[in-house]
Parts: sequence; C-alpha cells; structure tokens
Amino acid sequence: MAFAGRSVELKRILESENIGLKEFREACFQGLDEAGLRPKCWRILLNCLPPQPARWSETLASQRKSYQQWVQELIIYPGEGQDDEEQRHDITQDDHPLNPNPQSNWSAYFKDNEVLLQIDKDARRLYPDMCFFQRPTDYPVKMDASGNITAAEYLRKRIDRCVLKSAAVVKNRSGGWNISGVSRKRTEYENLSESEEAHWEVVERLLFIYAKLNPGQAYVQGMNEIIGPIYYTFSTDKDETFREHAEADTFLCFTNLMGEIRDRFIKHLDESASGIVSSMNNLMDLLKSTDHVLWTCLEGMDLKPQYYSFRWLTLMLSQEFALPEVLRLWDSLFADAERFDFLLYICCSMLVLIRDQLLEGDFATSMKLLQNYPNPDIHKILVKATQLRKSRQIATGGSVTGIMIG
Amino acid sequence: MAKRSYDLLFKLLLIGDSGVGKTCILFRFSDDAFNTTFISTIGIDFKIKTIELKGKKIKLQIWDTAGQERFHTITTSYYRGAMGIMLVYDITQPKSFDNIAKWLRNIEEHANEDVEKMLLGNKCDMEDRRAISRERGEDIARQHGIRFLETSAKANINVERAFYELSEAILDKGPNKDKIPEAQPLPKPRSELSKCCN
Repeated sequence: MAFAGRSVELKRILESENIGLKEFREACFQGLDEAGLRPKCWRILLNCLPPQPARWSETLASQRKSYQQWVQELIIYPGEGQDDEEQRHDITQDDHPLNPNPQSNWSAYFKDNEVLLQIDKDARRLYPDMCFFQRPTDYPVKMDASGNITAAEYLRKRIDRCVLKSAAVVKNRSGGWNISGVSRKRTEYENLSESEEAHWEVVERLLFIYAKLNPGQAYVQGMNEIIGPIYYTFSTDKDETFREHAEADTFLCFTNLMGEIRDRFIKHLDESASGIVSSMNNLMDLLKSTDHVLWTCLEGMDLKPQYYSFRWLTLMLSQEFALPEVLRLWDSLFADAERFDFLLYICCSMLVLIRDQLLEGDFATSMKLLQNYPNPDIHKILVKATQLRKSRQIATGGSVTGIMIG
Repeated sequence: MAKRSYDLLFKLLLIGDSGVGKTCILFRFSDDAFNTTFISTIGIDFKIKTIELKGKKIKLQIWDTAGQERFHTITTSYYRGAMGIMLVYDITQPKSFDNIAKWLRNIEEHANEDVEKMLLGNKCDMEDRRAISRERGEDIARQHGIRFLETSAKANINVERAFYELSEAILDKGPNKDKIPEAQPLPKPRSELSKCCN
C-alpha cells in the first residue's frame, strides 16, 4: 500500500472506539514515518495508552501525575528543598551526613550520587552527532512556585557536590597539604541559563528516577540508548498537547519496555533463559539453521557472537544505525507481538545480507563489518527478516503467524 | 586477497572505569583524531592498526571494552587472548584511580600470566582539574612492576608512545613464548586472610 494510503488507514484505525490491536499492529509494522503518527502509536504499542481512545485523557492524567510526584520526591536531597516545614525539621534533627545508620537519608543520598555520576557521563554523550540533545527543552520541570528553580538544577548541584567531595588532598613540594579543588564551570552545560534544561538533562533525570524506583537494576550503560529514541520521538511530536508531556510519557513507555527486556541488563541473569547469553545463543542457532555455510565460516574464524551481537541485542540495534533508521526499525519491532523473537530474525537477516563479504573476509575485516554495519537498508533488512521467520515457521511445521512487510 | 601483509599479530586490550577515555585513546591512535563526545562503549569495540617496529610489520588488533561492572562477565573473556593490556584511569577522577587494584585483580584472574601490562593516567592536559598526582601514578605502577605513562588523547600526549612501548615489550619477549617463570607473589593462604577479621 502506498504511504498516503497507509496513513489514512492508520488514522481510520485510531479513530475507532475500540482499536483492533491486530489490525493496528499490522499497520504500524509497515512504518510510521509519515503523518506524525509515531508518537501516538508507540504510546499504544508500549502500553502507555489503552486501545480505547475514550480512556486516554484520564489514563494520561493519572500517569503523568504519578511521574510528577516521583520527580518531586526523588531528586531533592535530604535537608533541603521541601516546602513542608515539618519534614525539613525532621531530617535535620535526626539525620546528618555522618549518620552510620544504613536507613539514613544521607547514606542513600551518597549511594545515589554514584549512580547519578554514571548516568551523567552517559546522558551527556547521547547521540553526540545530533544537536537536539544539547538544546534546551521547552518544558523544563519547575520545582518551586516562582518557577525559577528547575529540577535539572538540583541534579547539577548534586553532581557538582560529588565532584567537589572527591577533590584530592595533594602534598605540595614544601611538605604542606593542598586541596586541589575541582570546580565545574558553568560552560560545561552548553551555556544554558539556570532556568533552562537541555534535553540530555531531561534524559538524565528520567534515568535517575528509573534507577531510584528500580534499585535492583539501578542504571546500566546502554539504557540511555534505549530511552533516547523514545524521548526524541515524543519530544518532537507535532501535537503540542502531547509534546509537553514527552518526559512523563517517555518514562512510562521506557518502564514498560524495560519490563520486557530488563533481564538482558542484569549480570547475574546472563545465563538464564531471558538473559543476554541465551539470546546470543538463540541467534547463533537461528543462523546455523538458516545459513549453515555462514555459521561455519564465523565459527571457523572464532568470531564469537558477543563481539557484535551483545550490543545488537542489548540495545535493540540503536547504536548500529542513524536515528531515523532506528525509529523505522523500532516501528516494526514494537508492532510485532513477538517483538524480541523478531529481533533475532532481524539480526539474523543482517548477517545473511552481508554473507558474501563475511565469507570472503578474514577475522579483522569481518569484525569491522559487523561493528560498523555497511549501507543499512532497513526496508531490505525487515523484508528479509519476515521471510526468514516465515520459512522457519514452515520448516518447523508451525503455523505462519508473523506480520509481513507489505 | 593479499594474505599476511604483516609479520606479527599482537592482540591488545584496553580496560578501566567508564568515562576515563579508553575509546578516545584508541581513536587518537588509530585515526589520529580526537572527539570529546563518544557514545559509551557497550560490550566491546575493535580496531586494527599496523605499525613498524624494529624492522617488523606488526598488526595490532586492539579491543576496547566497556567500563561498567555489568559488562565484566562479557569483557573478561577477552583477557585470555590478550598479549598486552592497557589499564586506563582518569587523573581528574579519583575513583577511577582507586579502582586500579580491582582491575589488576581482574587481569590476574583472567589474563595470561605473561601478559604485558601498562598503566595510563589519561586526561593529563586537564591540569586545573587534576586530582591524582603523577607521583601517585608512578608509585602504584612501581609497586606492581608495570609500565606507566600519563597521556592525553585530546592534546595527543604519549598516546602513540604508549602503544609502541607496549608493543615493543611484547616483541622483546620473543615469539616462542618460552615462559620463564617469574617470581610471582604467592597467593595468601585462606587462613591468613580470615584471621584478621575475627
């Protein structure tokens, strides 16, 4: 179906009282580049919006309110920033930075700072080739009634403090001790004014709140690469009524998505059925049954799947392609009912599509190819992936279920 | 395809905390360029560079690893084949210096016994934010009997030298790898370790 026809079809589906998910998924699978429907469709596919449009405003309002509360509660440091006079009193009376009690707010505060520093390193270097994440958001989160203090300002201060906290004491030549103070210059924040927040700072806050609410995983490098494309999609929505809530809605979608893939980020689950090692093995099994010659060649070179597919699978290919291609790929991935099974087929088709080069090359050239995937044609990759799935389903005597590219 | 355009193949590995500049060091060496904004390395990255040393063409296969603890199970599997390991810290980040002992233990556990090691204190151009003195870097390197250099991928200080020195050390050891057992510190008996805690 032509692009125009497809978006008309999709609009029709979205206008129905009760969205037929099968039909909806099939339409989304073909790509959501046109007509600005991606943000809305991703919200539905990632369970942020129910399939009944009549319930949308109510659902969104309550979800967004929860998020706002988490922001207020989770990023303020102990002994500060609470309007509640009584609470402030409590904290300073009973708790202090040297409190050895593990339940102490301060002890949690110092532990959080380590997580925050790690997030800060990665949020700053999210999509460095694009200026989008360095630009200020139009919707900073205000933390006080006057609207002067932004939430980002709190995290900036915390980061400054932990950097200061770790300033070294250096013995100088005359035997005295100097504290080599480390002060971060404001210029590091790309010359934004105090009341502005860069998009990367919003991502940083999202990841910090996620880490606080999910202490079992906290923050693992690579989560930034999962949340980045979602946040970008929502905060470039043409519909302002949705765009202004990009942050809260990203949080919910990211949390739902992580619910499905989080095991791949947890080290002690690496070997479990849902862990990353099993995923890589499944990919190799799939390749073995699809293209035995290629599989044998990679094995012969000792080119292990973890050299390339660890990143492919953990990040759902978000570092392999430029952002527009990642978005297109994720349309199909999110739309697929068996989305992480389908990811294996996508990865397998990527291997098969460059099989001639891999078969010809030595270890080093093949490694380079797999780490810098050449000339990606997402459409071709997707078509190949759906074909692989179909023939595999036929070969194993199963029913042919997956969506095909139209 | 022209086979073997080199005489020797050395496998090198870069390890260290996240954000210390491992990828930048490698990028400076392989492409002679600097980029302040690198995406974080997930899992492992890979680069090739051929150098000439003592009349020999040496192909360096350099593996760049992710720094975060989570990736250690994945990355330690590369230690075994490595002939040289560069352990990098950031002179402005005391935590990355404190973790050197932890990284050295990883090497001891997972790498070949005769692997050549080198400690690099990176970002030495940022004198105003220095938190770890050069002497402290030298001290810890001396204690562990490993080579040490302060580097700056940004200002292009000592990066090339680091790779050449490490390669030379591997080359000097000779190709047949007749392992002369060096005096290794004996592992402490368990009883001794547990005694002090009670």
